[in-house]
Amino acid sequence: MMHGSGRRVTSEAYSRPEFAPLLDGAVSLDRKLKRLVQRYARARSRLGSSGCGKTTLLRSIAGFVLPDSGTIKVGGRDITRLPPEARETAMMFQSYALWPHMSVADNIAYGLRMRGWKKDAMAARVEEMLKLLQLQGFGPRPVTQLSGGQRQRVAMGRALAVDPHLLLLDEPMSNLDYKVRLELRHELRALQKRIGITAVYVTHDREEALTLADRIAVIDAGRIVQIGAPEQIFHQPSSAFVAGFMGADNALDLVRTENGGLATVTNGVPPEQRIRAHFRSDAARLDGAPPAEDDLVFTGTVAQSVYVGQGYRYRVRAGNADIWVHAPERVAEGTTARVIVPRAALLLFSKDSSL
Amino acid sequence: MRGSAGEGQRQHPVITGKASTRGAALALIAPALAVVALFFVAPLAMSVVVAFRGKDGGFTLEHFAKSFDFYTTDLLFTLAIVVASTLLIGAVAIAIAGYLTLGGNPRTIAVLRWLYRWPLFIPFVVAGQLMRTFLAKNGMLNHVLIGSGLIEPLSAQSLLDWRGIVVAFVWKQAPFVTLLLAGAMASLEPQHIEAARNLGARRMSVLIDIVLPQVRGTLLVGLVLSFVTMLSVLSVPLMINPNSPTMVTVDVAYRISTHADYPVANALCLLSLALAAIGAVFYLRHAAARVEGG
Repeated sequence: MMHGSGRRVTSEAYSRPEFAPLLDGAVSLDRKLKRLVQRYARARSRLGSSGCGKTTLLRSIAGFVLPDSGTIKVGGRDITRLPPEARETAMMFQSYALWPHMSVADNIAYGLRMRGWKKDAMAARVEEMLKLLQLQGFGPRPVTQLSGGQRQRVAMGRALAVDPHLLLLDEPMSNLDYKVRLELRHELRALQKRIGITAVYVTHDREEALTLADRIAVIDAGRIVQIGAPEQIFHQPSSAFVAGFMGADNALDLVRTENGGLATVTNGVPPEQRIRAHFRSDAARLDGAPPAEDDLVFTGTVAQSVYVGQGYRYRVRAGNADIWVHAPERVAEGTTARVIVPRAALLLFSKDSSL
Repeated sequence: MRGSAGEGQRQHPVITGKASTRGAALALIAPALAVVALFFVAPLAMSVVVAFRGKDGGFTLEHFAKSFDFYTTDLLFTLAIVVASTLLIGAVAIAIAGYLTLGGNPRTIAVLRWLYRWPLFIPFVVAGQLMRTFLAKNGMLNHVLIGSGLIEPLSAQSLLDWRGIVVAFVWKQAPFVTLLLAGAMASLEPQHIEAARNLGARRMSVLIDIVLPQVRGTLLVGLVLSFVTMLSVLSVPLMINPNSPTMVTVDVAYRISTHADYPVANALCLLSLALAAIGAVFYLRHAAARVEGG
């Protein structure tokens, strides 16, 4: 979705409809925008959450932030210098930003009214939207009387009613209950497929991104660090940062042995020879079947065990490393255990590529 | 006393009856009540009494009859000036506060924000004096107009009549309403505005459709307060337009200082109060609507 090259903000919407969530951060930005991002990040970090420019990026596509350099193109049209109202993008805000003095129908119809639609055409389109979002009969209600999920759908209807070139979604699920979120996630994906609209979806939720996306751009500190299909991002992360972000939370330093295998690092190994290895806790196993030839085997003690619903999550202390392992059976804390990691589960990064 | 009553209530909730709680409550508000009674209710009551008391001490409407005989024009003049000023103040305040909230040029906004508040710190009497030098026949405004060739020197006229009063009132009160309005607009969620622009609304549409409906209450309060304030200003009409027709405040001052005619002065004051009540009705209606609306 976004191409960052040098110090330019460049983005292109593909003609093929797709979902492109932006994870954590923004494309490489020029100085002023970067300062803005940093200021934003500072303000956010005071609230205890991370801000690395993903919302700023979305806002610059919508036209609320003006980049110093670079171009933003949607469907080949350069919109970099256009005012927000001329961009034909529709944004869905985290807070929904529904206008409290208007009814559901008035909220949805506003964009059409601004485009000079006739009254009955407008009413028909609003009805169509209400039906699409399963809100039939809600038209005359004040938006202040709706639940969170209903508000979210009204906001969606308001954005979709104008048939925008590009739908921008800024963490639209973050104010909802977990259960509602799960439901809406699938609803949203189905809806997006049905109407075939290009959308940019900002989230910090990995699962949300993987469920919704055709392509994912992972952003760290104002730069896109990887862009690709969800499967690619998940299985072939380009850096240790992306691997960690995608749930490969075990990180170990390894070293290549003379016969091409991998071994744990002993004290004498210089840093430049070390390899950073990431793997998922559910890719490793605790004892069980005997290890294959090139599996990595660690011996340690179970330092902590947590029940996580489907089995247990163990912290195994092996040497001076902590390894998280997922296992179905219960093992007492303090017992000696072997952790077996299949070679294929290891994601390897040379030390200097880690971000 | 009050402290011990409170203690008693806490220790013996059954024994302490409703009456003693009420007594304590009355004791608490007594000082405030006394101030209100002494300094507000009593003078108002006196004013009403004097307005309706004849020479023989009995009830009469003669002072009101006299007021209407002499000053009906002035009462209408006052109402017209204050209503016109209120409407203009509303328009100016919406324009300035709207630009401060939605304007695109940060430098202009900063300058405007700094400039518009100045009249707030200038008393009415000084405002009146400023307008005298500004609007007079050989005042600054005409100098500028003639200098720029917009009018002929012969056609220059003094604006020191009802127009002068309206200009002075708007100049002095618009910043006050702007201050309230800009504050209310600033506390709107910025995303409400962004959402509208995102859907294709130009700034003017955003102002009318999104911003104003949400700050309507604040605007109304500011305008009602200005309305009542302007009704009671003496210095501005006295300095700019003391001749008939003029504002009721000037007539009241005249009745008192020249004729020591307190009954008619009080009758005129009560009539002003009735005008102010129009504003109060608007205010209360809005307040009630807000309570109903939650």
